[in-house]
Amino acid sequence: MEIFDNLFLGLSVAISPINLVYLMLGSLIGMIIGIIPGFGPAAGLSILLPLTFGMDPTGAIIMLAAIYYGAMYGGTITSILLNTPGESAVVASTFDGFPLAQQGRAGPALVMQAVASFVGGTVGVILISVLAATFATVTRNFGPPEFFMLVMMGIVTLVVLIGENWRYGAISALIGFAIGTVGVDLETGIQRFTFGSAELISGVGFIPIAIGLFGLGELFYAFYQGLHRAGSGGIIQYQSEDRFWPTIRDWLDSRLAFVRGSILGFCIGVVPGAGATVASLMAYSIEKSSSRTPEKFGKGAMEGLVAPECANNAASSGAMVPLLTLGIPGSASTAVLLAALLMWGLKPGPLLMEQNPEFAWGLVASMYLGNMALLAISIFAIPLFVLFIKLPYRILAPAVILVCTMGTFSVHGSIVEVWLMVGAGVIGFFMKLYGFSPAATVLALVLGPLAEETLRQTLIISRGSPWIFIERGMSLGILIITLGVIVFGIWMGRSRKKLRARMT
Amino acid sequence: MRLHKTISVAARALALAGAVLIPTLSSGAATADNYPSERLNWTIAFGPGGGNDIMSRTIISILEKYKLYPGEIVAQNRSGGSGAVGWGYLFNQKGNPYHISSTSGSFITTPLKAKTPWTPTSFVPVALLAADDLVLVVNKTSKIKDFDQFIKEAKATPLAIGGMGAVNVDFIVPTLLAEKAGFKFDYVSFNKQGELTTALLSSALDAMVANPGDVAGLLESGDLRALGFSGTKTPDSLKGVPTFGEKGFELGISMPRGVVLPPDAPKEAQEWWIATMKKVVEKPEWAEYVKKHELTETVLWGDEFGKFLGTSQDEFARILKASGAIK
Repeated sequence: MEIFDNLFLGLSVAISPINLVYLMLGSLIGMIIGIIPGFGPAAGLSILLPLTFGMDPTGAIIMLAAIYYGAMYGGTITSILLNTPGESAVVASTFDGFPLAQQGRAGPALVMQAVASFVGGTVGVILISVLAATFATVTRNFGPPEFFMLVMMGIVTLVVLIGENWRYGAISALIGFAIGTVGVDLETGIQRFTFGSAELISGVGFIPIAIGLFGLGELFYAFYQGLHRAGSGGIIQYQSEDRFWPTIRDWLDSRLAFVRGSILGFCIGVVPGAGATVASLMAYSIEKSSSRTPEKFGKGAMEGLVAPECANNAASSGAMVPLLTLGIPGSASTAVLLAALLMWGLKPGPLLMEQNPEFAWGLVASMYLGNMALLAISIFAIPLFVLFIKLPYRILAPAVILVCTMGTFSVHGSIVEVWLMVGAGVIGFFMKLYGFSPAATVLALVLGPLAEETLRQTLIISRGSPWIFIERGMSLGILIITLGVIVFGIWMGRSRKKLRARMT
Repeated sequence: MRLHKTISVAARALALAGAVLIPTLSSGAATADNYPSERLNWTIAFGPGGGNDIMSRTIISILEKYKLYPGEIVAQNRSGGSGAVGWGYLFNQKGNPYHISSTSGSFITTPLKAKTPWTPTSFVPVALLAADDLVLVVNKTSKIKDFDQFIKEAKATPLAIGGMGAVNVDFIVPTLLAEKAGFKFDYVSFNKQGELTTALLSSALDAMVANPGDVAGLLESGDLRALGFSGTKTPDSLKGVPTFGEKGFELGISMPRGVVLPPDAPKEAQEWWIATMKKVVEKPEWAEYVKKHELTETVLWGDEFGKFLGTSQDEFARILKASGAIK
């Protein structure tokens, strides 16, 4: 079997002592980078990139890749503990992760997210090893029409998230779409709502808005509730911490979420663009709509945390496919990795894996080891994080403000973005007070501009004809799946109502 | 000039008086005989890992390796607003010869997009070292096989040509080509190189313009086909590909990768840096950098570079005004 030959070659490269050191170092740094909201893998990678100038390329890529997927492990921790997603791919993890923490189940939630990250990451690497070439053809067929259809699918799933309070949910999403229109109009270059500010030309970023709405908003709400006077306990009055390990029930509830989340995540992750965000959203909504107890979602359902976690980690592996097989970066982080490949004098492209097998397979093999290392690090570190939320509030609150501010500032070193974050914090407080959905806002902020860009690109290419969406095979396929999801959702909703009607 | 002399006389007097222990006092008082004598602040107007950052750090490492700069060099990334922040900072260091920065495409486009207090010609030009030029590519499945056929097809039916951004050289290059060759086309702007390349691979686009480095792998594997190159000399990796000029469509435009000093920097400093950069570009490390990043070595010194910036800026402004992207 060629695959085993390749993997064996890769493993022999990856387990050389120096490469193992790089791997462990990368995993640790990645995890820490992931934990700080705002300071995501793309920023972390580009700061550490110059250090790899003189390193052996294989060792360097093993380290940088470990930082990249390691950040996905760490990223969820603030989602669960502080209800603050550090990047768009972990927004879906706040839906059930934070309620679990509030119920005193922070330990099991963190363990499950580490395991889910491990499963998602490992399934992703297995699929890279076996099917990278096959998935490269998916990437090859993905133009603006397909991209638009995929984004529409993501927007449809927003509806599932909005839940019962749909009027407020829709308003929240529209606010996000509105914020997303700020910046340069991609097709004409005309500036929209920038008020002459150079900082707003590239638009309002996800980070200041998400950190403001979630992190600061949650904090202001806690002040409003008078938690700062309560003395101890976290941002929210956490109930007593009973156990660390997940229960058998947790495992049983999430067994299918592991499988569905990982495979879905990888498949969407191979698409260049907002793969991980759309993947985690869809994984969540599929899990919710196929669940027999959808009412538990958003109130601490373990499978509602596992599915998006598997998906975003599998997607971050999936994003390596276009990088390794075509030399195309699928995300901001893989773009930095691509810059690294160029810097070391490699030529990324379809021939990379043939011409540099020990490099490519060394990287793939190291990802198996890296995921194991990260699982071990996570389990080891979780008790520390659980301690963190038990800190007295008077210590925790300033620390959270500091982390939010520094995280936001570190992205572009922009004070304007810090003020945006503070403004978003005030809005986030009122959203929480009146039951709006900050998640819908930030996801609309990510998906809205993508939808606009890809739709306009498509229509320029087709010279205004919408038929292009059904003329192209893959675009038609995604359209049919989306329609199927909508019909299935309505049908499930109806049959559930009937069931309930019969029971009462 | 008189002011400078007065200050330098004063500085020397101070030096005689034994104030040499506080060298910072003489800041801004550079003269031919003692420049450079202080720490150099190298402003990088973009984040780490980008094209501008890599070029700056390559030059700095050459300066350090061959001890071309006598003092310490501190590189600082001041990113934000597509270079508006970093170059704005340099702009504020008027007359100070111990600040320097490297330029890239945004050096021309950012002042056109935003109301920056500076324009490319506000600065004291040192040297244009290299240029980012673009290659015109099609999918391997395209029926267009070469440049002549491209022009023919483009004249028959407008093609969809993709590139990065609307206020960018990616838009300027095909527009100028279309102007000169007499065809019309639909420009499709993208935000991310990955999405642009896959759009071409999926045959949604008819053609695209890209930096040679971004498509080198796909050209080598035969997935994409190169038709023409916008620069004056084709890089090694694109052997056999004609330049637009060879086909009779000289564009005379490219993204300047150069070095500038703050406005009103003294003449001595400008001359010192021209002499020094002449040494830098002769080193093997520089040749390797240019080759690795598929840049075209285009060298212009001092005021020649300034003139080049001026004409590029005017040409960009003319085309972007015509397209309605800027007012």
